[in-house]
Amino acid sequence: MRGDNLNGPLPLAGGRRPGARGAWLAIAGTLIMAAASGPVGASIERSADARATALTSHRTLLDRYCVTCHNRTLKIPAGNPLLLDTIDLAEVSAGAELWEKVVRKLRTDAMPPAGRPRPDQAASDALSAWLEAELDKAAAARPNPGRVPAIHRLTRTEYQYAVRDLLALDNLPKELDIELLLPSDNTVGFDTTAELLFVTPTLMEGYVAAARKISRVALGDPQLPPIIDIYRLPLELPQDDHFDELPLGTRGGTAIPRYFPLDGEYVIKIDLSGSNREPYELEVSLDGERIKVITVGGPAPSGGARRESSRFEADGNAPLEVRLPVLAGPRTVGVTFVKRTSAANEALVRPFRRGMGQQPSVAAVTISGPYGTVGSGDTPSRRRIFVCRPKTQSEEEPCARQVVSLLLRRAYRRAVTNSDVEVLLPFYREGRTEAGFDAGIQRALERMLVSPEFLLRAEYPPQHVVPSTAYAIADVELASRLSFFLWSTIPDDELLDLAVSGRLRAPGVLERQVQRMLVDARSQALVTNFASQWLYLRDLQARRPNDRFFPDFDDGLRQALLHETDLFFGSIVREDRSVLDLLAANYTFVNERLARHYGIPNVYGSHFRRVTLGEDSVRGGLLGQGSILTLTSYATRTSPVVRGKWVLENILGAPPPPPPPNVPALKDTSAEGKALSMRERMVQHRANPVCASCHARMDPLGFALENFDAVGRWRTNSESGTPIDPSGVLPDGTRLDGVAGLRRVLLARPGQFAMSFTEKLLSYAVGRELGYYDAPAVRAITRNVVLNNYRFSSVIVGIVKSMPFQMRIQE
Amino acid sequence: MIVTKMALPRRTFLRGAGAMLALPLLDAMVPALSALAKTAAKPVPRIGFIYIPNGVMQVHWTPKGEGTDFEWSPILSPLAAFRDRVLVVSGLAHRQAESFGDGNADHHRATAAWLSGVHAWTRRTGLEIRLSTTADQLAAAHLGKQTRLPSLELALESPTSIACDSGADCFYSHTVSWRTPTTPLPAEIHPRVVFDRLFGDGGSAAQRLAQVRKTASILDSVTEDAARLQQRLGASDRTKLNEYLDSVRAVEQRLQTGDKDQDPALVLPERPTDIPGTLEEHARLMFELQALAYQADITRVFTLLIGREQTNRTYPEIGVADGHHAVSHHQHDPVLVAKKAKIDTYHVRLLGDFLERLRTTPDGDGSLLDHSMILYGSGLGDGDLHSHNDLPVLVAGGGSGQLKGGRHIKLPETPMANLLVSLLDKVGVPTEQLGDSTGKLSLDPVPEV
Repeated sequence: MRGDNLNGPLPLAGGRRPGARGAWLAIAGTLIMAAASGPVGASIERSADARATALTSHRTLLDRYCVTCHNRTLKIPAGNPLLLDTIDLAEVSAGAELWEKVVRKLRTDAMPPAGRPRPDQAASDALSAWLEAELDKAAAARPNPGRVPAIHRLTRTEYQYAVRDLLALDNLPKELDIELLLPSDNTVGFDTTAELLFVTPTLMEGYVAAARKISRVALGDPQLPPIIDIYRLPLELPQDDHFDELPLGTRGGTAIPRYFPLDGEYVIKIDLSGSNREPYELEVSLDGERIKVITVGGPAPSGGARRESSRFEADGNAPLEVRLPVLAGPRTVGVTFVKRTSAANEALVRPFRRGMGQQPSVAAVTISGPYGTVGSGDTPSRRRIFVCRPKTQSEEEPCARQVVSLLLRRAYRRAVTNSDVEVLLPFYREGRTEAGFDAGIQRALERMLVSPEFLLRAEYPPQHVVPSTAYAIADVELASRLSFFLWSTIPDDELLDLAVSGRLRAPGVLERQVQRMLVDARSQALVTNFASQWLYLRDLQARRPNDRFFPDFDDGLRQALLHETDLFFGSIVREDRSVLDLLAANYTFVNERLARHYGIPNVYGSHFRRVTLGEDSVRGGLLGQGSILTLTSYATRTSPVVRGKWVLENILGAPPPPPPPNVPALKDTSAEGKALSMRERMVQHRANPVCASCHARMDPLGFALENFDAVGRWRTNSESGTPIDPSGVLPDGTRLDGVAGLRRVLLARPGQFAMSFTEKLLSYAVGRELGYYDAPAVRAITRNVVLNNYRFSSVIVGIVKSMPFQMRIQE
Repeated sequence: MIVTKMALPRRTFLRGAGAMLALPLLDAMVPALSALAKTAAKPVPRIGFIYIPNGVMQVHWTPKGEGTDFEWSPILSPLAAFRDRVLVVSGLAHRQAESFGDGNADHHRATAAWLSGVHAWTRRTGLEIRLSTTADQLAAAHLGKQTRLPSLELALESPTSIACDSGADCFYSHTVSWRTPTTPLPAEIHPRVVFDRLFGDGGSAAQRLAQVRKTASILDSVTEDAARLQQRLGASDRTKLNEYLDSVRAVEQRLQTGDKDQDPALVLPERPTDIPGTLEEHARLMFELQALAYQADITRVFTLLIGREQTNRTYPEIGVADGHHAVSHHQHDPVLVAKKAKIDTYHVRLLGDFLERLRTTPDGDGSLLDHSMILYGSGLGDGDLHSHNDLPVLVAGGGSGQLKGGRHIKLPETPMANLLVSLLDKVGVPTEQLGDSTGKLSLDPVPEV
C-alpha cells in the first residue's frame, strides 16, 4: 500500500452514481487499512517536494473555485466571512475550525453552490482528504475532548428510569407520572444537553415532593392514602378490533400495567360511551385472569323501563365498577368487550369518532385504592430494598446500615463511604422512632432521592490537574457515562463493580459491556430516548392531520406509525444490524391497520409483526415510514422543503443554514389565479437567488418523497390533482428519481450517513453540541464503522472508546 | 382540607372524578397556617403577562382613533365589554429582538426580549444561555415575598423540534420568565401540576406542620452535601451546583412563608386529570387556575404563553386548517390575512373570558380585575415580516386605581421596556433600568390644560 492513500478520501463521499457503490467500498477498504496501520509515520522522509506539490495543487483549486467569493473583499458569508484567500494552507492546524468547515462543505457537496463551476470530484476529494489527514494529525497531538459542564443534572427521563432501576418500581400509579412529578426539561436538540439542564426552585419543589411519594410507594407505607387514577382512552382510538395485550376473543378496551402499592382492596370503575341499545359483555381482568363479566346495555332487566340512552349501568343500576382484593406489586388491569361475531368493523367507516359507532367503547377506567389496607405485601421493590431483615431490635441498626449502603451505592453510582451512610442515618432513626423500621428506611430513602449526588452527575477533576490539558475521567464516571448513554439510567451492579474495582478499562472489557448492555432490555432507551429525539418522533403526538383531507387518520394510526419506527430502530439495536438498514431495509413492522395504510396485503390483527418487503417496495427504511413522512408534513399537504431539510439535517448531517429573514411564503395561485402544483410554487420561490442556493440542495430530496402524501400513503397524484413528478437533480448534477432513487443516492455514500449518525449519537452521548474539534474523533469512529460493515455496535463501541467520551478538559 | 364541591357555580368543563379523595397523597409543600389573617383592607397588587406567538395582523389589531375616543378594531372587539379596563398602547418596539447579524431567529428572540428588553444571542455563544432577569421575576422577587408561590409560569403548548434550527434558537421561545440571567424558568402546561402546586395537600394543620419540618430537615441536610461537592469542583464548574443550592434556599423560603387561611368562599374545580384536548378547554382551565391563585393570594405574578413562537398549531374550531406559522406568513394574500386575523381574534376572546372571570370575582372594595394589571402581547409585530416594532400591546385591569383604561395611546416608536418599567413601578417595584429602556412611560391621561 502506498503511503499517500492516507491522504486519499475518507469513506464519506464516493461513487456519485448508484452503480459506483462497489468501487467506492473498495476505496474505503484501502483507506481503512492504511488508517489502521497507524498515523503517518512513513511519510517523513518522503520528499518535502511531494508536500509542496500537494500544497500548490490544493491552493490552485481553492483559488479557482472558492476564493471567487470567499475573500477579503466580498467577505462571504456576511457576518461570519470565510477568508480562503489569506489563510495558510501549510498550517492547517492553526485554522482547524475554518478547515473543518471547508471539509464538511466539500464532503457534503454543499459547496461550490449550485450553478457555480465545480472542481472535478477527484481533485475535490483529494483536497478534503489531505485536509482531514492534517487535521487528524494535529488533533492526535493535542486532544481536545470539548467542554461539557462538570455537573450534568439527570433529565426527567433519566430520573424516571433511575428510580425504576434503583427501586424496582415500574408503571407507577398515574398520580406519580413523571410529567406530574417534575417539570419538563425543555431543552433543544437532545435533552441530554448538560448546559441546558437547569435546576430551578420549581424543579426542586418537584424533587422534594417526588422523593416523598416515591419512597412511600416503594416501601409500601401502610399509611399511604388511597390513590385515584383515571385512565382516559383517546377519543379517536377505534375499539372495534382486538388489542394485542388483551385476551383473544375480545375487542376494544385497554390493558393498564400499573403498580399497586399495597395489599388491599381496590376499585376499578369503567366509563363507557356509544350506543347502549344492545347488550354487550364487558370483561374485567387482573393479570390476564377474568375477574368479572358485566352485561351492559340492552333492554332493562325484569321488565323495568328501558334504560336511558347513552347511559350504561350494570344490572340493578349499580355503577359499572368492580371491587377486588389486589396484592401489592406490578399488575395489569384489563377492561375489554367480549367480541361478538357479528360485530361490524367500524374502522372501515371513517372518520371514526368514539361514540358515533354502533358498539359501545371504553371511555375511561378509574383505578382507586387501597381501601382497607392489609399490608405492605411482598413486592419486587421491597425485595430489592430489604437485603436484610432485622429479627431483633439490636439487629435493626446494622441492617439499616446495610440497606442504606446498598441503596446509596446504586443511587450515587460509586463506592460508598462510612460518612455517606452517617449522613442518612439520622433520617432513618427519626423515622424508626416515629413509625418503625420500614418507616426509618423510607425516610432515609426520601432524603437520598433529594441529594445532589443522586440528582446530579458530577465529574470531578483529579488533584493536580493541568489546565487546558485533557485527562481521562475516573472509572466510575465512565461507568455512569456509559449507562446513561445506552440505558438512560444508573449503572447496574456488574458495570459498577467493574468500575469500582478498576477493571473497566482493561482490554476488551468495555467492548463486552457494550455488547451486554445493548441486548439488555434497558437499551430500549436508545429507541425511546435517542431515536425519538433524533428523528423528531415526539412531534408526531402533536400532529393533527386535517380530517377533511385525511379522514382515516386517527390515534390508532398515529400510535401504529410510532410503533413501527420504534420496533424498526429497536431491531437495528438488538440485532446489531448495519446502520445502513436505517436507509434501506427489506423489512418493516406492521399490524393490520398500518398494513392497510401502506397497501401491504394479508396482514390481519392488531399485533405487530415483521414483514419482509419485496424488492420494489417503497417502504424499506426510515424514508418510507409514515411516522417521518407525517411529521415532516403540514396538516393539509406535504412539504418537500420540510422533508428535504429533515433529510439534510438528520440523514446527511448537513443542515442548511436558516432561511434569511423576510422570505416570501409559497403562493397557492399564479398571477393569473391558476392553482399551482407544489413544484410550480417551489419553482417560483426559487427564482429568488438568495433562496435558490439552499433550496437547490433541499428540494430535490423532498420532491423525491412526493409520492408519499401528508400521512405517508402512496399516491400518484398531488393535492392539486396533478401527477406527481418525483424527479430532481442535486447541485452536483446527480439525478434522482423518487424514493428508490433517493435511497440509491444515499447508499452510494454510505460513509456520509455513518458519519452523520455517529455525530448524532456522540452528541447525545456526551451531552453537548459537537464542535469542529470533534471532527477528527468522528472520522476515526466512522472509519472503524465502515470496517465493521456498519454494524450498530461498532458505532457505539467507537463512541465509548473515543477521546470525547473518555476524557475531560479543565479550563 | 380542601373542599371541592360548594354552592357557587362551577365551570362545567372541569371534569374528573374523586378529586377530593385523590388529594391526600399530594405532598405537603403547603406550609402551616400562619398568623396572617385575611384582611379585606388594602387590595394586594397583582400582575400578569400573556404572550401570543407569530405577531398579529396589525391592520386589524390597531384601533382607529386615539385617547378615549377610539374605535375597537376587529381583533380587539371581544374586549369591548371591558372598555374602561383596557389600555391599548401602539408604537412600542423591541429593537433588541433584531438580528444584529446573529442569524434569523426572530421568533425566538421576540420571546426572549418580550419581558427582558435584552438581545438573545442564539448562535454566537452556542448553548451558553444568557439573558437577564425578566420583568415578571423582578416583580416576583418583591411581591412574591408575601405569597406561597412567588410566581407561576404557564403555557398552553409544548415545544416541538421540527421547526427548530440548530443552535439555541428554539430554546429562547420556551419561556418568557428568567429568574436570573442564566436561569430560565420552565413553563408548565399540565393543569394538574398547576392545581397541585396551588392547592397541594389536604391534611390537618398539624400534619402539614410536621411535613414542613421534615422537608426543612431534608433541605438542610442536602445543603451540606452540596457544599461538600462545591469544594471538589473548579470555580468555573460550580454554576450548576450553585443553581441547586439557590433552588434549595428558594424552597426553604417558601416553606417559611406563612400559608393563609383558605378563603371559605373559594370554590375549587375538581382536580384536573389530563391536558384537555382543545386549546379552548386548556386555556379556560389554566386561566381558571390562575384566577383562583389570585383569589386565594397564592401568587401575585404569572406569565402564560398562549403558544410558542413559530407554532404551527391548527385551529379547526374556528375553521383554520392551516398551521398558524404558515398563515402568519400571509404575503398579503387576503385569504391568509383573514385566517391570521381570525386566530388573533380568537386569542383575544380567550383573554376576554379570563378578564370576565376576574371582573366577576369580588376582591376587597372591587373586583380582581380592578386590582390586577395584565399585559397581553408579543415580541413580534408583523409576523409576516418578522418586525419587532409596532408591537401588539394592551394592558388590562385597573391596577388598584393606578391604571386608567378606556384609551388608545399612540406613541412615536418607544422601547417596549419603558412600558415594563412603568408597570413594575405601578406594582411597587421601582426599576431603574430594564434591558434597553430609556425611561418610564407615562400611562396616565394627559391632564387638560
